[in-house]
Amino acid sequence: MPLQGILNTARSLSYYMRKQEVTANNVANASSDAFKGDRIMARRVGNSTFPVPVQELDLQQGTFRETARPLDLSLEGKGFLVVDTPEGERLTRGGSFRLDSVGYLTDHQGNRVMGVDGPLLLQGGTVEVHGDGSVVVDGANAGRLRVVDAPDPSKLRKEGFGRFLLEGDPREANLDTTHVRQGAIEEANVDPLLAMVDLVTIQRAFTANMDALRAMDGVLGAISNEVGKV
Amino acid sequence: MNGSMRTSASGMAAQQRMIDVIANNLANVNTTAFKRSRVSFEDVLYETIEGSRIVNYQASQTVGPVQIGKGVRVGAIMRLQSQGSPENTQRPLDVAIEGEGFFQIQRPDGSTAYTRDGSLTISDQGTLTTSGGYQLLPGVTVPADASGITISANGTVSVSTSATAQEVEIGRLELARFLNPSGLLAVGENQYAATPASGDAILGYGQDDGFGRLSQGMLESSNVEIVQEMTDMIAAQRAYEINAKAIKAAEDMMQATHDIIR
Repeated sequence: MPLQGILNTARSLSYYMRKQEVTANNVANASSDAFKGDRIMARRVGNSTFPVPVQELDLQQGTFRETARPLDLSLEGKGFLVVDTPEGERLTRGGSFRLDSVGYLTDHQGNRVMGVDGPLLLQGGTVEVHGDGSVVVDGANAGRLRVVDAPDPSKLRKEGFGRFLLEGDPREANLDTTHVRQGAIEEANVDPLLAMVDLVTIQRAFTANMDALRAMDGVLGAISNEVGKV
Repeated sequence: MNGSMRTSASGMAAQQRMIDVIANNLANVNTTAFKRSRVSFEDVLYETIEGSRIVNYQASQTVGPVQIGKGVRVGAIMRLQSQGSPENTQRPLDVAIEGEGFFQIQRPDGSTAYTRDGSLTISDQGTLTTSGGYQLLPGVTVPADASGITISANGTVSVSTSATAQEVEIGRLELARFLNPSGLLAVGENQYAATPASGDAILGYGQDDGFGRLSQGMLESSNVEIVQEMTDMIAAQRAYEINAKAIKAAEDMMQATHDIIR
């Protein structure tokens, strides 16, 4: 019995290790633009006696930080903007975009932001982006941002650089509930306070499991060394 | 080795970079026409641990993949090109650009640089130069007997002399603007150089379409807001501390692991 217990405790330890890594990543990204935190929870699968880590992407809206920079775009409500990367289209919650030398709207890596009819070319002085994603340059219509939504958020995979890969096809976002905001950045939806509490809890749970492991090791040691001694 | 220590270390390094940028903004709070920069962070690569299917005698259950992020990096340091407030100096050779545009200046190596710092002076040869002694392009020569100088909103430079009652036009200040001014490379001394990211300079004059107007006797102050920088600094400092605590937590867990066998 202590052997099985040691194995189960080891699995718990590895679960807390994972949880700690994910929390550390949330904390490290607490000031990343439009970052969405991850949550790891333990689930008991079947009648297993150890926790299986299950991850969930926290898609809650982050608060907005007004920047007044015209190319800072963010989304209010569910949905994503689309960027065209060499590996295919990826989703992003927005951020600080910029223009390349031709005038295409791109992200930090130079991937073009997609409009409804292809990449957005913004040549001119003042850029205005409306809530429905339509872009107006110097008073003339310059296209509309493509805003999509993931039908099943559990199919979103993070790729880094604020991008998401969606397994499957996105659907058009409901523009009645999703709005594009210009001149604002969505802050990370990580609460540093809760993350700190998590870190402490994880650490204590880890140590407690460690103590349990040591206790079982003691029992095992007693069995192998003491039992049968005359 | 617990990978989360590196993750947290990247968080500390990122916040350190944030403090660096804030310090530079604050140091230049009184620099004419200085544009503040802002750091934007983004997450880095994720390690995806494939999900599994757990089968037992009752049923089978699929567990989705777990993604573990490896920290944060500086996505970009962006210069914010917003207008600084004009400051009245009443000095005739101070010229502020209200709106888009840069003055063009000749660098000693022959290249052209761009600046919005319009505190001009007159060199010993009578040409208009920046306060650093770089000649404006195209060159404007002020006659030695000039008693007053007027620079109009569209850049025309005229002087009045004791000999003539009328003002005489002696040149015009040409401005340059860029499609993507954030892509300009800061080369120090308040100057910028064009890069492939900024695009080529578009030349024009004050009050032309897309260009700002010039106002004489004014200087553009920096667009740094001290209160904003201070709050950003506090936030960065706290974020730095939390990352340090996360390292400590990971370290304690490793210590506990190490203590299993005694």
